Amino acid sequence: MSQTLKVTLHNRLSELERVGEVVESFGETHRLPPKVVHAVTLCVDEVVTNIIGYAYADQADHRITLRLSLQADELAAEVEDDGKPFNPLDAPEPDLSLPLEERPIGGLGVHFVRKLMDGVEYRREQGKNLLVMKKHVSA
Amino acid sequence: MEITEQKKGSVVLLVLTGRLDAGTAGKLEERLVSLINAGDRSFVLDFMHLDYISSAGLRVLLMAAKKLKGLNGRIVLASLKDHIREVFDIAGFSAIFPTYEQQDAAVGSFQ
Repeated sequence: MSQTLKVTLHNRLSELERVGEVVESFGETHRLPPKVVHAVTLCVDEVVTNIIGYAYADQADHRITLRLSLQADELAAEVEDDGKPFNPLDAPEPDLSLPLEERPIGGLGVHFVRKLMDGVEYRREQGKNLLVMKKHVSA
Repeated sequence: MEITEQKKGSVVLLVLTGRLDAGTAGKLEERLVSLINAGDRSFVLDFMHLDYISSAGLRVLLMAAKKLKGLNGRIVLASLKDHIREVFDIAGFSAIFPTYEQQDAAVGSFQ
């Protein structure tokens, strides 16, 4: 049974459904708690959504690589793209206490990553963005 | 994502089925905007069959709620699954959107 799953995604929003399927099937294979599967699905979705929306200046087809791996009780989700340099961890924390009228419309995706993952690391390597998110899998 | 629409008196009931993510949120946005532009002001969104929501879905709800606030309208939500409720909680959206366990109570809240 392989402990690592690698999937190549296109920069199209219809791929988000596939992200859900891939994480779910990885979760089933390794009997991960549904809460963990959902948290990882959501965070990978948010990161990939940002990449598709903002990383590319052209309209061309790009590949985004998703790697899921399990080591002991830690799941790592790595997302790699060849878009412009972007460290999502640089984004400011949204103010969640603002009333409806003043709530900004963006910034929540990165907030989810910060809240739901146990560790997040960003690296720029060989012209690519690499974001590694880690989540403890104990129920 | 599928959207089914029903009118309950003056309340528009939208039942969402499937996934509300960046790939599907535009469909809900279009529907809500066209209903608001047509004069509807009271909305219940039933999430009983909604399996997944991301920030792109929340963005559409926030946009519609802001629009409606200026028009004396509102959106309430019904039947959130636990993991969807958690997304609302983390986003601080539970304080913005009234939510009900049951669709009937959500519709009834407009009486």
